[in-house]
Amino acid sequence: MKQPRRLAKWFVILLLLHGIVAAAGFFAPYDPVEQDREHPYLPPMHAHLIDAQGHIHARPFFYPLRPREGSFDQYEENTTTAVPLKFFESGAAYRLLGVLPSRLHLFGAEGGRIYLLGSDAFGRDQLSRILYGGQVSLLAGLLGAGVTLLLGALIGMAAGYFSGWRDEFLMRIAELFLALPWLYLLFALRAFLPLTVSPFDSFLLVVVVIGMVGWARPARLVRGVVLSVKERDFVRAARGFGASDLYLLRRHILPETAGVILTQAAILIPQFVLAEMTLSFLGLGVPEPLSSWGNLLASLQQYNVLVSYWWMYLPALAIVPFFLGYLRLASALQQRTVAYKIGEKDLWNPS
Amino acid sequence: MRYLLRRTLHAVFLLLGVSLLTFLFSSLTPGNYFDEMRLNPQISPDTVAALRAQYQLDRPLPIRYLHWLNAVAHGELGFSFAYNTPVAPLLWVRARNTLLLTGTATILAWLVALPLGVWSAAQLGRAPDRVLSWATATLLVVPDLVLALGLLILAVRTGWFPTGGLVSVGFDELSPLHKLRDLVSHMTLPVVALVLGTLPMLVRHVRASVTEVLGAPFLRAARSHGISDRKLLYHYALRAAANPLISLFGFSVGTLLSGSLLVEVIMSWPGLGPLLLEAILARDLYVVIGGVLLSMLFLVAGNLFADVLLYWADPRIRIAASAK
Amino acid sequence: MQPLLKVENLGKQYPARKSARAIDNFAALDGVSFSIAPQTTLALVGESGSGKSTLALCIACLETPTSGKIFFEGIDVTALDQNRQRLLRPQIQLVFQDPASSLNPRWTALDIVTEPFLVQRRFTKSDRAVRALQLLDRVALPRKLAARRAGELSGGQKQRLAIARALALEPKLIILDEALSALDCSVQAQIANLLVELQSSLGLTYLFITHDFAMAPHLADHVAVMHRGHIVESGPARNILSSPTHDATRSLLAATPRLFESPRESVNF
Repeated sequence: MKQPRRLAKWFVILLLLHGIVAAAGFFAPYDPVEQDREHPYLPPMHAHLIDAQGHIHARPFFYPLRPREGSFDQYEENTTTAVPLKFFESGAAYRLLGVLPSRLHLFGAEGGRIYLLGSDAFGRDQLSRILYGGQVSLLAGLLGAGVTLLLGALIGMAAGYFSGWRDEFLMRIAELFLALPWLYLLFALRAFLPLTVSPFDSFLLVVVVIGMVGWARPARLVRGVVLSVKERDFVRAARGFGASDLYLLRRHILPETAGVILTQAAILIPQFVLAEMTLSFLGLGVPEPLSSWGNLLASLQQYNVLVSYWWMYLPALAIVPFFLGYLRLASALQQRTVAYKIGEKDLWNPS
Repeated sequence: MRYLLRRTLHAVFLLLGVSLLTFLFSSLTPGNYFDEMRLNPQISPDTVAALRAQYQLDRPLPIRYLHWLNAVAHGELGFSFAYNTPVAPLLWVRARNTLLLTGTATILAWLVALPLGVWSAAQLGRAPDRVLSWATATLLVVPDLVLALGLLILAVRTGWFPTGGLVSVGFDELSPLHKLRDLVSHMTLPVVALVLGTLPMLVRHVRASVTEVLGAPFLRAARSHGISDRKLLYHYALRAAANPLISLFGFSVGTLLSGSLLVEVIMSWPGLGPLLLEAILARDLYVVIGGVLLSMLFLVAGNLFADVLLYWADPRIRIAASAK
Repeated sequence: MQPLLKVENLGKQYPARKSARAIDNFAALDGVSFSIAPQTTLALVGESGSGKSTLALCIACLETPTSGKIFFEGIDVTALDQNRQRLLRPQIQLVFQDPASSLNPRWTALDIVTEPFLVQRRFTKSDRAVRALQLLDRVALPRKLAARRAGELSGGQKQRLAIARALALEPKLIILDEALSALDCSVQAQIANLLVELQSSLGLTYLFITHDFAMAPHLADHVAVMHRGHIVESGPARNILSSPTHDATRSLLAATPRLFESPRESVNF
């Protein structure tokens, strides 16, 4: 497939995926914090078209689950009532993109709750939690990447443009940061900061910590671009008209770094989402009741959950399409900026 | 020789810098190990103060750092508050476990990646290469976390593998052969997780390096001499493509201690990773610093090792280095 | 009459590392002296490595010489501070050899020509565009190319654009650093003719730097030959070309691809 089209294709795919998560309120049938203590650890429900009596229904439906005799976590279908699946139902209130109040959901059911992906210990719908959790995880990744790229670009430009001792100094520090194993740095950074803070503050902390870990590589790459552009004749010519350093940086050098920065963005964003997931999984990230893909997986650390409730693993798969999209986007971008060589090793190896 | 000396000096600088950074960092942050104790009404403030004095936490930072440097020079790494034992032996045991895991995984991964990558490069564009590329692409898309958890669930639901720990209970009573079998069965899952995590990238790199070399004229000349394809691939092409691979190998060696943290935590393998995590959460200062330093040592040693290897293997580097 | 440009004993040294301990100074310019009268053209000829480009950068105030002086209209440029130098810069403009790198390929032709106005903060936005288009006319570039990106233009068109940009701030001196060397022969002739025409209509002074004597008879009033960082021979073009005295001059002349009977004859390119 031709280069620009491939780039566009993956960009659109990613946009759609993000859109679904951004509009989690619409796509999720229920409020993620809504509990149903009567139905903890419900397995995913099956959709049926033919009921127990052999009748075919026009509309797919579900059977509510009730605990089996003599067990508290084994469920069986209660075939006496059928709960039909309805689209564009009115349900729990939410704010689309945090702004628009709405009650419209893509699908829902009357007369019972449908758990398409099962429920957790408090009876909360996993599908809704995964969708809303994606908002937190993706946002953390995007913001974290933003912080890192901003920091890296500024430092890289300063080092590359001003050269001399400033360059040496900054690059030595960058080398130090590059040498540290990033996961350790991440944990250490996070854990040495106050552990019990409000969910929002915790989220901010995660973003800042993630952002401060990865600036070294983008800084080095940006510096490389700046070093090569600085010597180009059109920069000399502009200086010949009396252009100031700031002008040169802003109008000539910065645009040249865009390619490198974009490629780094495509590489870093999924890594940072993963970093948030790892932190939250280990209890160092976003705390309950806020859901993120990471803390949704935290329950898997309990042995009984691991053995009996396999659907609690599903949030882990949510990140895979995003990884795929970003990976493809990054390789498409890399092929465009071949002039500035970025080693393949940088693609996924976080350290 | 001078070149290697310079690289070693550089490495030492790096280590010092990191140790200072870690020390600085952990001291700047609020909270230390004894804060929890202070909150505990059963322990008198005098005891806490005495403990702090014992661990010298009440001295200013530069003095603590110098003390610690001095201790390191004598082979000690400080004292663990949580475990109440010196740090060094604690670290060695855990590091040994980690190395067992990662060493095996790294060797396996390279043993598989080299032939796969070379073969893939030789079959460039054809069916086997395409299948392999697709497979590595798929694996790449699955992050370590997802992979390890998935494998764990597999183990749990099939019961084929133990789901945690180094060895089973009652290990000591087993015969040597059974001991080995027990260890291997415990190691299988984490090793598989690690190998699957690193294999795709390795294969890609090998493939890329060899592909670059395959078009070279000297290979065509060699083939016209009647040298067999297999010899061409492994003896000639692989050697020419060796440089980036040697650096990569050095990198693999470097991450022997630090690359498996997540897998160890998830699979409950008693290695360096879980220890560090615990220590970080408990603010067990010297364990954290000791552990970070140990990992850094490996990272730096790995790079140095790669440099040495490159120096030995590639005459061009020897010449360039001695010309300086 | 006072020369427009007078260069006195100019020297430029670059430190170059010989080994870990010793730093050797490489002298790109070693005591260069010459002057250019207003509205004339001096051709500075020398082989690669003779220091020509360094000289161009020093005169344009883009590099600082390590020794010697440069006088522009009688003012000692080398003694001025950064800010005053910046004020003087518009009067001395450079046209580089490779238009592919001297013009930002992503910018449109119009942007490139208006850049000097922007940097010097002259004129209003609409005025700038008008003047830019006028400049394009001057160098015989069709106006419809104004919206094209520089990267899409041909070599000759790019160099015309570079000249248009150099004219924007109404300089007195234009330094052409191998400005024709990267062009095809036929295009060289066109640009050379354009330069001659502009000189007479705008009263420009040229410092024409080249490694090739071929253009000298067409453009130059005077010629100076550079070799290893200093001037070995100089004088009116006619004299140098017909009776060279220095070895360097002779070898440069011998290397010229086309032979000619006498200077100042219009040569078929």
